[in-house]
Amino acid sequence: MASPLERYAELKTAADATYAGWRTPQRPRIDVAIDTSSLANGARATRDAIEANISERNAVVDLGRVHGYGMQWLHPLVTITFPDGASVVYGPVRAEHAALIVDIATGAKPATSTLAIGTIAGERAGIPSLREHPFFALEPKTGRRLIHRLGFTDPENLDHYIATGGYHAAARMLDRHQSPAQVRQELIDSALGGRGGGNFPAGTKWNFLATAPGEEHYVICNADEGDPGAWVNRVIMEGDPHLLIEGLIIAAYATGSKGGFIYIRDEYPLAIARMEQAVRQAQEAGLLGEGVFGTEMNFELRVIRGAGAYVCGEETGLISSIQDSRGMPRVKPPFPAGAGVFMKPSNVNNVETYANAPMVIEHGAQWYLEYGTERMRGTRLFSFSGDIQRVGFMEIPFGVPLGGVIEACGGMLPGLQLKAIQSGGPLGSMLPAREVPNLSMENAPFSALDALMGGGGIVFLSDRICTIHMAEMFTQFVEEESCGRCTTCHGGNQRQTEIIRRTIAGEGRHEDRHNLALIDRTLQFSNCVHGQFSPKIVRNTLRFFSDEYERHSAGRTCDALECEGLIRFRITNQGDPRLAEAQDICPVAAITGTPGRRTLDEAACIRCGACTDVAPNAIVREAKPATPRLVALS
Amino acid sequence: MPLETESRAQIRALIAEFRPNHGDLLATLHRIQHEYGYLSREALEVVAEQLHLFAAQVYGAASYYEEFRFEPPAAVDIRWCSGPACRARNGGGIRDALLATLAVQMNGQTEDGRVGVRLGQCIGTCELAPQVWIEERASHTNEVVGNLNAAKAVRLARALRDGATAQEVLRG
Ligand SMILES: Cc1cc2nc3c(=O)[nH]c(=O)nc-3n(C[C@H](O)[C@H](O)[C@H](O)COP(=O)(O)O)c2cc1C
Ligand code: FES
Repeated sequence: MASPLERYAELKTAADATYAGWRTPQRPRIDVAIDTSSLANGARATRDAIEANISERNAVVDLGRVHGYGMQWLHPLVTITFPDGASVVYGPVRAEHAALIVDIATGAKPATSTLAIGTIAGERAGIPSLREHPFFALEPKTGRRLIHRLGFTDPENLDHYIATGGYHAAARMLDRHQSPAQVRQELIDSALGGRGGGNFPAGTKWNFLATAPGEEHYVICNADEGDPGAWVNRVIMEGDPHLLIEGLIIAAYATGSKGGFIYIRDEYPLAIARMEQAVRQAQEAGLLGEGVFGTEMNFELRVIRGAGAYVCGEETGLISSIQDSRGMPRVKPPFPAGAGVFMKPSNVNNVETYANAPMVIEHGAQWYLEYGTERMRGTRLFSFSGDIQRVGFMEIPFGVPLGGVIEACGGMLPGLQLKAIQSGGPLGSMLPAREVPNLSMENAPFSALDALMGGGGIVFLSDRICTIHMAEMFTQFVEEESCGRCTTCHGGNQRQTEIIRRTIAGEGRHEDRHNLALIDRTLQFSNCVHGQFSPKIVRNTLRFFSDEYERHSAGRTCDALECEGLIRFRITNQGDPRLAEAQDICPVAAITGTPGRRTLDEAACIRCGACTDVAPNAIVREAKPATPRLVALS
Repeated sequence: MPLETESRAQIRALIAEFRPNHGDLLATLHRIQHEYGYLSREALEVVAEQLHLFAAQVYGAASYYEEFRFEPPAAVDIRWCSGPACRARNGGGIRDALLATLAVQMNGQTEDGRVGVRLGQCIGTCELAPQVWIEERASHTNEVVGNLNAAKAVRLARALRDGATAQEVLRG
């Protein structure tokens, strides 16, 4: 019988042949990046137009697919790979650029074009290397580690994964190279921490499962990625699905698990499709199912599609969701290693945690320790959004300064100043811009400020937002997503939201601050972390944006002009011809009258801003004049 | 046992592969909702029989999740992104404009069943904030409309309300 490494060698030989033909193709090839962000930006229309153009002209050009690099503000991205192996990335490429792109591919037009961003392989005069783009300034100098395949492989092609070194770590491990205990030790030595936010050492957690009683163990991948503003798990699943599968094979071997689940949020249909397809491919190739790589190891891996519940990202909620019930978190202990899915010992890790395992096993802990800080080792994916110039994702070593990140992201949009940094999702935090010099990309400096770096999403908010208004979004979120098991959490969050809403409506009260603090203290007694962390953003807001809060509550003023109860819309220029359009667009018909004599009914107005969108010089959004109030004499 | 009707038999065939105590409930519900657009009472009963659960357990679990619905969906849903990057660019105003234009509540639909507005979560396409997704059942359309403002949202909702198809509004 062939050994795992012999089997691997066989797969590799075939894969190498396929991949070599793809990397240095005989005919030029145009790869359109197809991932959720690219598609949202119109990649399908771009691809269709290029395809039509090729067939119209009978051009000797092929069409392929990759995943984007992280430069989402430049989507849709297109890569042209020439027969000499040089690859040039272009973007944003729209349908109307199809002829130009095909011309460049055939050589009819030079590779230099205003759309050219950089080369990722080979050279083309006048085009810089993509790595020189300032967006990648913080990425490891030796190249990406976790997401090195993005852009260099077709994520739907198993051969591409294998040809670029994929499944070697698993095959070698299974080839009696390492015992399960050795694999776990390697992971412990690498100090790989959980990427779901907690940074709990993955190897230690695997030990819990490995030493748990019984034969039936499960590894569970948490791909619920519910924090708005974080999409790094999605990038791994859409961009390199086999990497996650290999990580899970390693985890299953190390923990004696025969079954595995990947629980993916419903909002990620493309990630679900690619993971399901990759699981099928791996099964057909004998890498999953019975006799993994021809060994005694059996490992059934299944993809579970969630259905839109944030707390299903909490590990016990997730487990209960898999086993046919309401996905409600429960009190721990017992932890999953004691009582997991179907009450069997289980291990839950984040997508990125598992996805790091193959490189730890392939290159060893020492290699892995090269990057990062004392407390947080390695690199991690971050997604950056908000009012920055460059929205996207990158892989950076832990510990780089936040100021550097803002620079890599091109700073704020013209005319805007950074006001707040939102990290860690709805259970995370909101910090003021003045703390930037004290922050670097690891947990400790955030914790020192009673904040949370979290699972990889950071949103940069500008001075055009009101932090009280933003806090309302998160309080509402945690309230709606409370599972309802403990009254502390659902009731506490209702009260918290009510107070913030009332403040936004211009009816803040003197006792609110005290009551918010009381709610905060009470929420600490919730059953799970959802309730316990739910007052964090409000607490941050009261501490770091105290002035702004007081301006709202006592001062009845929203300087950012966002809070509905504290602003109004007023016609300032009856002569502006666009007023007619404003009158027409108002969804509640609050603007009435005839030219020159229009009025805006403040009571009917819902402050949506549609009128100022169309007639910015005729209508203003302004602070509502203070109404006289009774003030208690003290 | 309720009478075996043709529609029950159809549902049963649709979910025949799913098994009790096997973590199949979510997949079963997704399959049915994909086919019928929602989970009817009858479907929940058939699911219960198939997975050896009580119908109340199935409903209890299904109703826990944002995505499952128990009434036929609108022909087109406007899925509004509630995420932070969208919210930072008047996402709240866009939501209010959509709801007011269609005279519906969040997760509701117009009386004629043509257009609905549903709460959406950030999918990491924040470079296009603020945005909505247009989901049309018949054509299986699911596309992002980004860089919105409140005025554009009103026009979009009016066009759909007045009978435009998803393709028409996406092109316009
Ligand atoms: C309300 C709530 C939501 C969570 N959502 C996620 C999530 O979407 N993804 C995730 O990996 N962890 C999430 N977690 C953390 C998980 O419970 C768990 O700690 C994590 O998946 C462990 O994996 P790790 O050690 O690899 O980080 C959430 C926790 C809570 C309390
Ligand atoms: S916040 Fe709307 S897509 Fe991210």
